[in-house]
Amino acid sequence: MRAEVLLRASDVSYSAGGRKILDKVSFELGTQQITTIIGPNGAGKSTLANIVTGLLTNFEGEIERRPQLRIGYLPQKVYVNTLMPLTVERLLQLTRRASEIDIDHALAQTEVTYLKRRQVRSLSEGELKRVLLARTTLGDPDLIVLDEPTSGVDVTGEIRMYELIGELRTQLQCAVLMVSHDLHLVMSQTDQVLCLNQHLCCSGLPESVSRDPEYLALFGKSAADSIAIYTHHHDHVHDVSGEPADHHHD
Amino acid sequence: MTSPASLRIIIMTEWLDDFLLRSIFAGLIMVTIAAPMGCLMVWQRLAFLSDTLGHAAILGVGVGLMLQLLPIVGVLAVALLIVFSLSRVSSFNSALSETTLAIISHTGLAGGIILVGLLPAGRVNLEAILFGDLLATTPADLLSLLLTTVLLLILLAYHWRDFVALSVSREIAQAEGIEVRKLQFLMYAMIALLVAVMMKVMGVLLIAAMLVIPTTSARLFSRSPEQMVAISALYGVGALAGGIASSFHFDWQTGPAIVVNATALLLITLGLTRLLKSGAA
Repeated sequence: MRAEVLLRASDVSYSAGGRKILDKVSFELGTQQITTIIGPNGAGKSTLANIVTGLLTNFEGEIERRPQLRIGYLPQKVYVNTLMPLTVERLLQLTRRASEIDIDHALAQTEVTYLKRRQVRSLSEGELKRVLLARTTLGDPDLIVLDEPTSGVDVTGEIRMYELIGELRTQLQCAVLMVSHDLHLVMSQTDQVLCLNQHLCCSGLPESVSRDPEYLALFGKSAADSIAIYTHHHDHVHDVSGEPADHHHD
Repeated sequence: MTSPASLRIIIMTEWLDDFLLRSIFAGLIMVTIAAPMGCLMVWQRLAFLSDTLGHAAILGVGVGLMLQLLPIVGVLAVALLIVFSLSRVSSFNSALSETTLAIISHTGLAGGIILVGLLPAGRVNLEAILFGDLLATTPADLLSLLLTTVLLLILLAYHWRDFVALSVSREIAQAEGIEVRKLQFLMYAMIALLVAVMMKVMGVLLIAAMLVIPTTSARLFSRSPEQMVAISALYGVGALAGGIASSFHFDWQTGPAIVVNATALLLITLGLTRLLKSGAA
């Protein structure tokens, strides 16, 4: 099954401060596809996400977007000011107005309707993540870009979060591009994995990527095993997640 | 310049109504602009920047007088120069570190006092610069205060949603197409203007107090950003009224009297909210 292409990146390179961060990266994002970017720290994952969303423009290479492509974006580090009095419904309308119906709908999609009138400063980290995820769905996006959507969320919350992201894809009929370091947890939801370390080491289905020699060199065998275990035995996720992935930092 | 002791004599003179009304009007204008600017600065943790610009304003006064300019021109020039230099540093946020600001702040204060000291005696009343001189507001002061405040209010109204978004989260604002750096620079330039106008009323050392204390009271029971601004303004008016009254009754200097009243209101509010909470529980 071949999905329609929403976005195509061709030979995208990016340098900052004399250091090459991305080197000729090419890939495609298809409609309703979930794509996960993995890679060690400093591999250029967030940079790539910023180029896709259009925040970074001074890159080499080419990004073709489907005309009128609407993108919802959840940045990696969202520091939400706790000094301000601000309700959740106002947070959703921070940069543009939204109707009551749209707000209710967005909050319902990430199961946080009950937080609508709460002050943002009283939310737990997990609640805040879900509210922010709800925010990205406003404006009927064709593509949601999520940079480490589960950082700061505990393991159980993390699994639920990935399930929610999977459900969002079906309900909104949108594509998802996700940056993650949780190699093993994201896999069951993902259609395409981009393994990044400045250049694109390998890409494809989760199972095929986890057997790729470049991937093994980058993450080690234990990480690869944990993916295999997770994709085949969903009920053993807690044992698996207790085992940290073996990153090789450079 | 008027000292509280000479006040009673001035009260006897025929232009009583005029000068008192002028002072009250100047105070109200200051409160009107201090509320929204103070809230934004508290939200963005910029109170310390206003303090720095305030301290360095003395240098501006000195330079202005040396060059035979209006002091406010010197103040504005120095404040804008500082803001501009800070914004040229590649990592903007680290440029606003406590250390950097403290160095600028105290060097400005020291340099300004030296310059003012070199001026012929009687040219400048240091105490009025440091602690404000609300009761000596001239029609020219009033006009410049009014014009600057109107300008700031127009800028605030035009950019309010963006300023609030920037205060809530820089990342979200940036991700959703707000030009964060431009907006931030505008904010700093506006703070420079604000400092220049507030200096007359509050004195360079007490500007930050008037931006921070009423907003802190308002924060205790506000539910939205705009509500916090409105309640801050009410607290500001309360502090102003109390300040002017205690200045008359106890011969206190007006600037410090306003600050002390603002803090008293904060403490009363804190006490009441505690009481209400324990009553509810």
